[in-house]
Amino acid sequence: MTQEMQFKTIAAQYCGVKPEDMTNDMRFREDLGFSSLDFMSFLGELEDTFDVELEEEEVAQILTVAEALTLLERLQEE
Amino acid sequence: MKEYYPLTAAQRMHHNWIRKYQTQQVSGVSVVASLRAPLDFGLLKKCIQLETERYGCMRVRFTKPDEKGEVRQYIADRDTRDIPLKDLSGMSMEQADALMQQWAYETFDGDDIPLCDVTMLRLPDGYNGFFIHMDHRLIDSCGLVVMINDLMQLYTHYRLGSAYPQDLADFETVLEKDLKRANNEKRFAKDKKFWDDQLNALGEPLYADIQGPSVLEAARARHKNPMLRAADIELKNLFVEVKDYQLEPEPTKNLIAFCMNHQLSMTNLLLLGIRTYLSKVNNGQEDITIENFISRRSTHDEWTSGGSRTIMFPCRTVISPETDFLSAAYEIQNVQNRIYMHSNYDPALIEEEMRRRYHTPENTTYESCYLTYQPMPVQVDNPHLAGIAQHAKWFANGAATKKMYLTVSHTPDGGMNFSYHYQTAQLTEHDMELLYYYMMRILFKGIAEPDMSIGEIMEQV
Repeated sequence: MTQEMQFKTIAAQYCGVKPEDMTNDMRFREDLGFSSLDFMSFLGELEDTFDVELEEEEVAQILTVAEALTLLERLQEE
Repeated sequence: MKEYYPLTAAQRMHHNWIRKYQTQQVSGVSVVASLRAPLDFGLLKKCIQLETERYGCMRVRFTKPDEKGEVRQYIADRDTRDIPLKDLSGMSMEQADALMQQWAYETFDGDDIPLCDVTMLRLPDGYNGFFIHMDHRLIDSCGLVVMINDLMQLYTHYRLGSAYPQDLADFETVLEKDLKRANNEKRFAKDKKFWDDQLNALGEPLYADIQGPSVLEAARARHKNPMLRAADIELKNLFVEVKDYQLEPEPTKNLIAFCMNHQLSMTNLLLLGIRTYLSKVNNGQEDITIENFISRRSTHDEWTSGGSRTIMFPCRTVISPETDFLSAAYEIQNVQNRIYMHSNYDPALIEEEMRRRYHTPENTTYESCYLTYQPMPVQVDNPHLAGIAQHAKWFANGAATKKMYLTVSHTPDGGMNFSYHYQTAQLTEHDMELLYYYMMRILFKGIAEPDMSIGEIMEQV
């Protein structure tokens, strides 16, 4: 499974959208229906799964799946 | 082979209250769900028994405490008890509610015993349904709503041929995942750092009472410590009264619209209303802490596994009177969002850390107000039962561990219900009237003029 699909599989647990139907331009709140609690819990799960540390300032800027994936890739490269 | 598990942080929270207040009553949760329609009680009994099989949390039991006082939980294979049917149809609904309120005061006493009782009911005015009485270590209110709806879906499946309800997540699997996450050392270190950093930045919290600074002053005198920042907890007289206030649909719409337009959650707006009131009645105190309950239900499995997931964390903010209403709301939202990310932490450890740092006296607290925002109404949500009148109601367990516990929920007509549970040892209905009145004045002044400063709002309301 690619990292992107692994990411979407986790995200799908928090919403009614299947991983294969999740597009990168989807917004967490408006399109996937994440509440604040859902989003922050999801980020915590990303941290544990991909062994990265998310900074609060960066997290606040994330609106879409693509933005979260880009941040994840960057943190893994660092 | 039966597996034995430690308690989760959320379960331990209730367990510790039982130990501290020396009665299981503080952990009772009760609800009635009924429809104004005839029910096939033979079938309903089968559905309740089937629900007990499907919803593993209903079968959770606790072992006898070991020599260290620790208990472990396990899931009984089955529950073979009969489901009784009681006929209250000869009473008025008020009398029936009063009787059920008495049932809600009953305690589950003993080890290795079932902690879930379901009673089928014939109620007045043609209502029929069931009353559920459980221990909060097994389930929270969201879990109960899911269970009631699943049970009624089973009933309509067998009675009316509707679709069989979707599978519920396995309670034990979700419990194992929760415990594994709590034992993740990296996660634990991150969560601990977050909570410790808050104390490093802000220092010891400062108590703010609904009744003003005299309560903290009295605690200072009692402990002979003029610098004391925590106040005493009532341990003996736990009797609680409940006062409900309904906010009409139209003003409710305005609150919801404000939240939507400014991407704020209702919880954070309510926290702002309470903290501004506390600040107002405590000489403009800027450092305020309110305990806020978090459902910890985000994934599909977390929503459908049952269990007691709700946990409370202190929402501490230091807001100056010059801050405008909207910025104050965002400040609370930022704090809450960070708390959400660290909500796997055991709040007992936060308290432990504060006692270690500040030598806080035993049985004192930094918080007088507790909030639960409950977006899910307790009602049967089933298209096959649409249009049928319902009588559904939560019953307080009658023993409050908290001085004032506010539950805010939405009502079927589009309004909101503010349910204030308050310890009668110190508080009166008049205190609740004042709190509700000023909370509403603050919130509606703030949403009408979001640029107005908190100080001005406190002066004008």
